[in-house]
This record gives sequence, C-alpha cells and structure tokens, in this order.
Amino acid sequence: MNAIGAARSFRKHLRIFGCYYRLNLASALEYRASFAIQAFGMALSNSSFIFFWWIAFRQVGGSIAGYSFEDVLFIWAASSGGFGLSTILFANASNLSNLIITGELDAFLLQPCSVLMNLICAKTSLYAYGDAMYGIILMALFYAGDSAAWLWFGYGVLLFAAIYAAITLTAHTLTFYMGDAGSIGALASQFSLNFSIYPESIYGPAVRALMYSLIPAAIAVHVPLKLFRELLHPAAALSALGGAIAYCAAACAFFYRGLRRYESGNVIVTKM
Amino acid sequence: MPVITTCGLTKTYRAKVKGEGLGASVRALVKPQWKQVEAVRGVSLTIERGEIAAFIGPNGAGKSTFIKMLCGILHPSGGELSVLGMLPLKDRRRLAMRIGSVFGQKSQLWLHLPAIDSFTLLAAIYEISDAERRRRVAELSDVFELGGFIQTPVRKLSLGQRIRCEVAASLLHDPEILFLDEPTIGLDVVVKQAIRELILRRNRERGVTVFLTSHDPSDIENLCRRAIVIDRGSLIMDCPVERLRTESGVESADASMEDIIAAIFRKGAAS
Repeated sequence: MNAIGAARSFRKHLRIFGCYYRLNLASALEYRASFAIQAFGMALSNSSFIFFWWIAFRQVGGSIAGYSFEDVLFIWAASSGGFGLSTILFANASNLSNLIITGELDAFLLQPCSVLMNLICAKTSLYAYGDAMYGIILMALFYAGDSAAWLWFGYGVLLFAAIYAAITLTAHTLTFYMGDAGSIGALASQFSLNFSIYPESIYGPAVRALMYSLIPAAIAVHVPLKLFRELLHPAAALSALGGAIAYCAAACAFFYRGLRRYESGNVIVTKM
Repeated sequence: MPVITTCGLTKTYRAKVKGEGLGASVRALVKPQWKQVEAVRGVSLTIERGEIAAFIGPNGAGKSTFIKMLCGILHPSGGELSVLGMLPLKDRRRLAMRIGSVFGQKSQLWLHLPAIDSFTLLAAIYEISDAERRRRVAELSDVFELGGFIQTPVRKLSLGQRIRCEVAASLLHDPEILFLDEPTIGLDVVVKQAIRELILRRNRERGVTVFLTSHDPSDIENLCRRAIVIDRGSLIMDCPVERLRTESGVESADASMEDIIAAIFRKGAAS
C-alpha cells in the first residue's frame, strides 16, 4: 500500500472508529438508568478501595513498600482511567473468545475494513465510564494544580488503555489455538489490574518480570509514577512507549495468525 | 461472464472425538482423539453474472461452509476459487466492497439502535459519503418499505421487518453479488413473498447475481433458475430448476417442489 492509500485507509478507519464510539454511546444511553447506576456504582466501588488504603496508611505510617498514600492514589487514578478508556473504546476484546466460538466473527470478516479494529471497537462497557470518571476525579482531588502529575497521568492512561486491550486480546486469541480461552482472558485481565493497583515492590522478582514482559501492565502505571517522582530519566518514557507499541503490534500479529485457524459456526446470534 | 468460479474446492477440518461420560472426558484430556471431517469435497462450478442460483442440500451438506469460502471467511483446504476475478482470502477487503450477504441466523444490525443508525455505520465501513448514504437509504427505504420502522430500535421489530432491514443493509453498498444463506428462515408466507419480490426486483433492475441457500422449496421455485445440489460435501446435481423433477425421478405430476427436493436428498443419501 502506498502513502496515499495508507492515509486514505487511516482516514476511513478513523471515521469508522468515530462512528462506533457514537453508536456505542447511543446504545448505552438507550438504557439511561442502567448506564447511570453502573457508571456511578463503579466509581463508588473504587472509592471503597481507596478508603481501605487510607486506613492502611494510617495504621502503618508514611509508606507501604516504598509507596506513599499519594503514590497509591496516582497508580489508582492511572489504572482506573486507563482501564475505563480501554473498555469504553475496546470492550469487545474481552468478548473475543465468545465471538470465535459462536462464529460471530463472520460478520466482521465480511466487511471491507480491518477485522481487528472493527471487532474490538464494536462494543462498549457501561461501567467503564465510571472507572474513567473515577480516575479523573482522583487526580482532580489530590493533584489538581500539579501539571507534571497530569502529564504523566495522561501518558499512563493512554498506555494502560492500549496495553490492557492488547493483553486481553492476546489471551482471548488463544481460543483459536486451544478452544475456549475465555477464563484465561478473564485471568489475564485480572492480573493486569492486580499488577497496577498495588505497589510493585510487594511482588517478588519473578512476578515483577512478568509485570514488565508477558503482562506488561506495570509499564503503564508504575513507570509513569517513577517518571512523575523523577526516579527515572524522562527518556524512559520513550522506552516504555516503544515497549507498549511493540507489545500491541505483537498482539495484532498473534491475532491475525490465529484468525487463519478460524472455523466459523452456525449458532443463532444477534449483535448486541 | 462468470463471476464465481471454483475448481475442486475442498474444505476439511479437525473435529474432536469423545466418548460418552466423565471417564471419556478425562481420557480425552490426557489423550485427545481427532477425526478429519470433509465438509466440502472437490466442488467445481461456475456462476454467470446476473444468475440467481439455488445452492441446496440437507443439513450438514456443506452449503454454509462453501459460501463462507466464497466470501473470504474460511480458508479452503484445497482447490481453486475466484470471485469477481479475486481470491477471496487474499483480496478480502476489496471483494467485500463488491459483495453483499445475509446470513439469516446472524444479524449485522445493532439490536438496541434503529436500523438507520446501523446504515450510518455501514456507510462508513463501505466508504459511502453522507450525501450518497442519504440518497441510498431513501431509495432502499422506499423499495423495502422501511419508512414505518427504520427509526425503531431493531429489538422492537418483528422478524419480517428485521430481515427486510438486513437485506436492505446488505444492498446499501450496491453489491454485484448477493449471498443469501437462508434469508427467509422463520418468516411467514407473506413476508417471504415480499422478500423474494425484492430480491427479484434487484436482480432485474441492477443485474445483481444472487447465490442462495434455502430449505424452503418455494424460495427455489419462485426465485431461482438454476439449482445446485450438494450432499455430504460433494456436488450431486447442477441443472435448471425446471429439470429438478426429471432428475429427481419423481413421476407423479402432482408432486410439489418439497417432494422433489426430498426425493433428491434421499437419492443422494442412498448413493
């Protein structure tokens, strides 16, 4: 594909992406009460965790595993915001196993655009809006006037959104190879969150290696925190970005390789 | 001019074999057993531009698998195929711009939103400008009489209304070939007739080639000029619809199309 073709394709996919976002939101708003309750409920549920952290810090003192209470608030804000953004835009990644098993991928393969983008953007999550909102509220409450904090928060949110979607996608892609990998997908998503909402030094070296390699959620949360606290050289931001891009590219390649094994199916289904 | 050509098209896949009960499940966990299933066996055929061909066969004959290979959904295991001069898997996106499909069991419309919103998304996917989309939606809405429910959420439509929207959605990008996999499944006779008339009209006015699978003999009788019969993955008959009676061996002049097709299937099963 030449440069003009690539630019045209990019514009087309951007238009589809925008269209999906508007339709997903419109679909969510069809059930206004459910939307409001789920979004608000999620924000409330997240608040309870912060309350427990506040109690823990009061009991233990100034820091836990090298993290202050403000540091924990920062990683919570970045992971919550990133998770929210990821599941607002790419919620269907966690539905991939189901799509493969029921043969629903057919509909995406029949359309003249990127199968991967088309399918992962085709669904949103209502409670994700609560998560995204919660991340921003935390930052507004505790880092309102700190522009550096907002910069690294934004960086972390974008990185986490991309990495979380890629981790979920990779785990669910295993369904092409070994049958239903839905529970592996759920586990991988859960690990990603666990790795990002606790101080990283509470984990042993093996788990920490995992947090920066196979399930690299730490890149998107703990690295931005260290950059914000100036514990890392700013150039580390570029390395983390490069690592995230490489991981996402590998996830895409793994998906397309698995897609060759797709066998379709005839289950009666309706697009939700 | 042929728009679809297949030569010795084959599709095999591996299926797990497991005995009855928990013990067999545990054994399958340690030592899984597989069998090769030949869903499509060396099918060769040609479809000309503007044809309406029925692709029929009993359940599990390989009809859907065959269509999915033509649409670029499934990888063939062997043989050659060309659709509109393209290789479906290699040129999937380019081909998708020129074909339309309705899989009666699967929806391309958003359940919670009106069909008009799904048309907007499809227009973005098929690179149709806003002005052109409005023109085409107005035209399809007129032809398919969607006006009364195009702005109603799809979940609130009757099956007949939904299928009319599905067929309209598949025609939005003005495809040259329409693949219809059981488009009238579950519909009442009046709606079936309406859908058939709409398909015929599109074929007459735009020269759209129609490749249809259906278990409804009336679809075949009223829509198609050619019948292609497949059984256990192999092509067993390819003839004009009016010759099906002779080929089936049914002698009674009163025999319905359903009797004729059943006789052909039985003949295929016995061979």
